[in-house]
Amino acid sequence: MRTAGLGLKAAALGAILYLHVPIAILFLYAFTTEDASFKFPPPSLTTRWFEVAWNNADIRAALGLSLRVAFVAMVVALILGTLTAGAVWRTRFFGREALSLFIVLPIALPGIITGIALRSAINLADLSFSFWTIVIGHATFCVAVAYNNVIARLRRTSPSLIEASMDLGARGWQTFRHVLLPQLSSALVTGGMLAFALSFDEIIVTTFTAGNQQTLPIWIFSSLVRPRNRPVTNVVALAVVVLTFVPIVVAQRFSRRAEESS
Amino acid sequence: MRRITSLVVALVLAVAACGGDGTSAEDGPLQEIGDSEDKVVIVAWAGYIERGETEAAYDWVTQYEADTGCAVEVKTAGTSDEMVALMTGSDEFDLVTASGDASLRLIAGGTVQEVNTDLVPSWNTVDERLQDAPWHTVDGKHYGVPYQWGANVLAYNTEAFGGNAPTSWNVIFEPMNLPDGEPNAGRVQAYDGPIYVADAAVYLKSTRPELGIEDPYQLNDEQYAEALDVLRTQRSLVGRYWHDAFIQIDDFTNEGVAASASWPFQVNILQASGEPIASTIPTEGATGWADTTMMHVNAPHPNCAYQWLDWSLNPKLQGDLAAWFGSVPSVPAACDGNELLGAEGCTTNGFENFDRISFWKTPTDDCNGTEAAGSCVPYYRWVTDYLAVIGGR
Amino acid sequence: MRLALLLGVPLFWMVGVYGGSLAALLVQSFFRLDSFAGTIDRSPTLATWRDLFTDANMSVAARTIGMASSVTLASIVIALPLAYFIARHASRRTKAVLVLAVMIPLWSSYLVRVYSWKLILSADGIVNWFFERLGIGGLLDAVLALPAIGGPSLSVSYIGQFLVFVYIWLPYMVLPIQAALERVPRSFIEASADLGAHPATTFRKVVWPLAIPGVAAGSIFTFSLTLGDYIIPTVIGDSSPFIGLAIYSYQGVAGNLPLAAAFAFVPIAVMGLYLFGAKRLGAFEAL
Repeated sequence: MRTAGLGLKAAALGAILYLHVPIAILFLYAFTTEDASFKFPPPSLTTRWFEVAWNNADIRAALGLSLRVAFVAMVVALILGTLTAGAVWRTRFFGREALSLFIVLPIALPGIITGIALRSAINLADLSFSFWTIVIGHATFCVAVAYNNVIARLRRTSPSLIEASMDLGARGWQTFRHVLLPQLSSALVTGGMLAFALSFDEIIVTTFTAGNQQTLPIWIFSSLVRPRNRPVTNVVALAVVVLTFVPIVVAQRFSRRAEESS
Repeated sequence: MRRITSLVVALVLAVAACGGDGTSAEDGPLQEIGDSEDKVVIVAWAGYIERGETEAAYDWVTQYEADTGCAVEVKTAGTSDEMVALMTGSDEFDLVTASGDASLRLIAGGTVQEVNTDLVPSWNTVDERLQDAPWHTVDGKHYGVPYQWGANVLAYNTEAFGGNAPTSWNVIFEPMNLPDGEPNAGRVQAYDGPIYVADAAVYLKSTRPELGIEDPYQLNDEQYAEALDVLRTQRSLVGRYWHDAFIQIDDFTNEGVAASASWPFQVNILQASGEPIASTIPTEGATGWADTTMMHVNAPHPNCAYQWLDWSLNPKLQGDLAAWFGSVPSVPAACDGNELLGAEGCTTNGFENFDRISFWKTPTDDCNGTEAAGSCVPYYRWVTDYLAVIGGR
Repeated sequence: MRLALLLGVPLFWMVGVYGGSLAALLVQSFFRLDSFAGTIDRSPTLATWRDLFTDANMSVAARTIGMASSVTLASIVIALPLAYFIARHASRRTKAVLVLAVMIPLWSSYLVRVYSWKLILSADGIVNWFFERLGIGGLLDAVLALPAIGGPSLSVSYIGQFLVFVYIWLPYMVLPIQAALERVPRSFIEASADLGAHPATTFRKVVWPLAIPGVAAGSIFTFSLTLGDYIIPTVIGDSSPFIGLAIYSYQGVAGNLPLAAAFAFVPIAVMGLYLFGAKRLGAFEAL
């Protein structure tokens, strides 16, 4: 390994700082004593917003809804993404290119397009907005990340593994279960995590596909325009970071181990 | 999965034929309140329906829920237009707290139903000035129950104005130096909703009487063009247009905003946090809002909804809400003896200003039914043109 | 048969539901709004498309595309060194920490982060506070005095808006570039250096070409996310409308779904061209 030049180090450090100073601010203002508008520096600090947040049933309900939506959207996206990757991998068929474009499209087009298209379709179809319409919106743009992770892993998987399994008399399902799935596990974890994260913090598509359900970002948005107890939104954002930190670290270790062992 | 299947089937049909209208069987208003359903779903302005979660003293939901067994669900909306979009786009809402610029559109579009005031025992306690107000009464039929009202005041920084209240809206419409000697450019704000065109019309009505503006919501092409010109001039003075109350509060605190069209709500909060901000209604008068709780034509929970309509008029709720939102109760009895509002609360929030306010209503091309179609500039043009003005065109 | 089994559901979802929705949206753009009551007149017409090509709408599109391009370029410039450092120089442990550091912002609320920038950039905000303490407040004033991109304060200027856009979408640029660079065998770079190439030459001839798929993938995100965002322009900047905001207003505020639908095809067309180019650069493999 070569040592990095000073310029490179400084640039990398600068970028990291750029990404984190606002988070530090977010952190600091979870403790401010001002409740409507923030000033710098904060007049004094308090921990009472944590208590307020903890006792707020709306927050708990919104958090619960967001977790459920993200989980279901993630599962749907993983299934759809894996199926598509399985079909596209090592097969050529008419419309293959078009399909891979369609998979990428919802994430490559601005969220507002996906949102407005689905909203008007849901209206035309005379469906009412519900938990499931939110899931449909989220899963649609999450498929891309699941698909990309799985297909990238499949490309690095030697076809001979599968041939060997088949030669040994395993059926399709057995081959999938015992040979392919272990190979894919780290890709599924990474893709799933990313899908979960995308869904969990999504506001734009949700605005269009939700009825009066409040996901956590929607709760935050409505609290930001209601200027009382504003630090509570910071507490919530902070709590989300802390809560997600552990699973990310675990997943990262897991996928690195899997990578090394393969 | 059945839902998804039906979605796709419907979609295919939709693409081919583009759907039919929602069915609504309207047999006139309810005649008798029956058993409560399980809940009532309300589209409301942020802060309009509180259950004590933000501050324990401000709770006018828990008691209703205990009394009626109807759980209250709220969908907040940030603008009148959002409210209209929500109400027209869905059948899951029962009630909406619509301002005058939404209420007539909802009535015209057949989205809300006539309210049987006999089923609202508190109706007689409503401020007489509001009982037959044109923004919820059409052909003698009432399409809702007044909720709260208030003025769009001129908020100003007392330090920038040397302690004297500005007497004209010109401080935010014309380039000038403010009493502190600094120019107003970059230090004023305006509302980013298209209805703000009416504020320019209110200003022109008294500064340019030769234009003959009578109602700021009924503008002919010439008057409208002049109003847009006022707004274009204002564009060069405005740093940022405000969309939600919070952003404006921040801008008064941190951006050195000296004057802006605003709501009493922001002024109350800014004063409470010790900022040198006050508000006034200049000599030209002001626009204002008067909100009405209206019921969806297909309200899924009409019995709970009627009970909410009556509940929404009780003096305690009206007074607490007025204190919370900086608005004026539609029930005058609420002004007396409310702890949160205080003895002077109604006066502070503008109870006496009723006659100086041009209340928000939707501009229509037939001047709200008073002229032939095509005489007035309709609302959709306000939307497009105001967006263009903000974009610097 | 196996193919049909695998493909059935995804095809149904992506092409049927999603593609169908987009098609329905396109159909709507050929309807028009019947002025007042907000009802939509469903006889086919080109009137809505005529309404789209007004001066005001086109200036909105130009402003947005200009912002999206500069945000994308800046993201590339800032992300490259960081991604390169992570992929090439960091030890295993540092690498894990840095990747985590890039991902953390993605997990903390987008809205709360945008709003905290308001405090950082405002006239009495944090940037100003530090500049004053350091005695270089004049520098800030000079920057703000720049025509067109300046303004009364950072938070009311295009500069501030640009900083926030770059900040919010930066991780989406770093991660794909880093992933692309990871795939470059270390020996390539060493060989180039061993052959006596100047670091700049190595970068231009070896690193950059290999980073291109990652850059292209990242730029799809930064470009498209900036094109469609309607929240940042309402919080930071001088309220000048962007495409996302215009679509949102036409749909939600004016109830003019046909015009919103027609406007939606501006970013779709732009992204279509962009994707076409990106695909040739190998972006889809690096997403």
